[in-house]
Amino acid sequence: MEFKAPVESYSGNVREVTLGRGAKALKIGGENALPFHSFDEGSVPNPPRFALEVLDTEPEGWPESVLGLYKDVVSDPVKWAKKCLTYGADMICLRLLSTDPAGKDASPEAAAAMAKKVAEAITVPLIVYGSGDEKKDAVVLPKVAEACSGENLLLGPAVKENYEEIAKAAQQHGHAIIAQSPLDINLMKELNIKLCKTFPPDRIMIDPLSSALGYGMEYSFTIMERTKQTGVIFKDGMTQMPIIADLANECWKTKEAKANKVQGMLWEAITAVSLLLAGANIVVVRHPETLKQVKELLKQR
Amino acid sequence: MILIGENIHIISKNVAVAIRERDAKLIQELAVAQAEAGVDYIDLNLGPARKNPQETTEWLVNTVQAVTDLPLSIDTLNPVAMEAGLRSCTKARPLLNSASGRTDSKQQTLPLAKKYNTDVVISVLTDKGCPPDVESRMESIMSTVAYANELGIPNEDIWVDPILLPVSADQQQVVQALEFMKILGDVLPGVKSTIGLSNLSNGTPEELRAILNRTYMVMLGRYGQYSVIADALDKELIDLNSGKMPRIVDLIYKAMDGEEIALSSLSNKERDYVKTTKVLLAETLYSHMWLEV
Repeated sequence: MEFKAPVESYSGNVREVTLGRGAKALKIGGENALPFHSFDEGSVPNPPRFALEVLDTEPEGWPESVLGLYKDVVSDPVKWAKKCLTYGADMICLRLLSTDPAGKDASPEAAAAMAKKVAEAITVPLIVYGSGDEKKDAVVLPKVAEACSGENLLLGPAVKENYEEIAKAAQQHGHAIIAQSPLDINLMKELNIKLCKTFPPDRIMIDPLSSALGYGMEYSFTIMERTKQTGVIFKDGMTQMPIIADLANECWKTKEAKANKVQGMLWEAITAVSLLLAGANIVVVRHPETLKQVKELLKQR
Repeated sequence: MILIGENIHIISKNVAVAIRERDAKLIQELAVAQAEAGVDYIDLNLGPARKNPQETTEWLVNTVQAVTDLPLSIDTLNPVAMEAGLRSCTKARPLLNSASGRTDSKQQTLPLAKKYNTDVVISVLTDKGCPPDVESRMESIMSTVAYANELGIPNEDIWVDPILLPVSADQQQVVQALEFMKILGDVLPGVKSTIGLSNLSNGTPEELRAILNRTYMVMLGRYGQYSVIADALDKELIDLNSGKMPRIVDLIYKAMDGEEIALSSLSNKERDYVKTTKVLLAETLYSHMWLEV
């Protein structure tokens, strides 16, 4: 008997989120099939997108194999962002690490002004991550939202302790937000439900936290995979937001990645490919070579 | 379904203090309140009972027996406390709660059920912990029940406990426990069953716990669950169990059967029960806000 591969079709849709304004605008998500299930029915209107990182303060602990590429621009986020575009980044991910109260503790106003400069200087959408200090981010990110009003940034992380302040400002000034939860699908859903009481669901992306290969990547993988299944197969409206895999720093802080250039790049690329397979719609990477290799791989599929 | 009242429990701070200070009044009030609520057994959870296990257990059993004739469930992992408890039960045939497939339990605790001619809860736990799925749970319990039979304990005296884990931790485990109950009667004819119902809602915000426990009790009941260890002071749970809320039971069954239910035609309470059933079947992903979507 001839073998006939089964073909699945799905009834749920990942929400489509638009980032950036005007000619910069980029659509994320929108698929109604599981990731890379090109053998099933369904459409994937928007391919996964890649962001390269820019810091608003000089990087610490970056290995020479990455830092060397940006040596001439690390003190100028605008130039740095432009350089990333020459490497083919679909988006820029600006990290406002200068605002970290445990570090420079820069003012929200200064950070917001820098975000605005970068947003205006680039031709692609901008992601802005705060320092991760939930109290400071609750002040910094609303300032960024205000300074970049109408730019349609992707702002985060909004966590259960500070989502109200961030969502309010994002909504007022027309931005999307990143809802971040600590590697727990139930808490992820809870945060989305809370957010959606006041915030439009098609302006939210999920960051379930991305661990690096060898450092718990399988947890991130499982949660992303289940998020997609719950949204696409079971039509759970509170898990249908597209996913951002912010894996750059997690990969490059490992001793394996720091050990040598090729190994570092591979460490990041394998983590990125794995999380793409799990369902990530945006991946944030650090090494331009990672970006190039993974994009190439996706083309060959 | 047979109800085993869980309210005399060492994890409750009041109970722990009362036991330590030999405060008979508080314990007896709890026993009477549960008896009046309509439970069939009163569970006496002593925990590990490290200090004076024998004297403590005897005191607790006698204190409760002074105010009720209900049978007692002696709930401890300490074999010394267990033996003292079973020996002290003079009013009704007690329930040994619990033995398991763990080696120490099979050697030290399980034989007490034969020695004192009691009913006995046997859980699916093994030396390796809690088996992860229906098959391995079944394998474990079949082996332990066979061992118990060899000791002279008949299936009719055995109450199987599949071990219920919190829904907030792992929905699939909740489904597995339900599936286990569905087939238990076919695999081990004659055995009874019990389950620690409240563990289902551990980790869930306090005010939302009861509806999870109640709904799951009804779901288990449909598959022939014999008894549950539950909060005797939850009046709605008691009402559900005694057939006073047939419409809710019917709705839960419909949700279990995957019938289309128009939520808009239901009262808030009915809607909550339907949503909860879907969470407990893992058809809806759990979050603490499952009633709000």
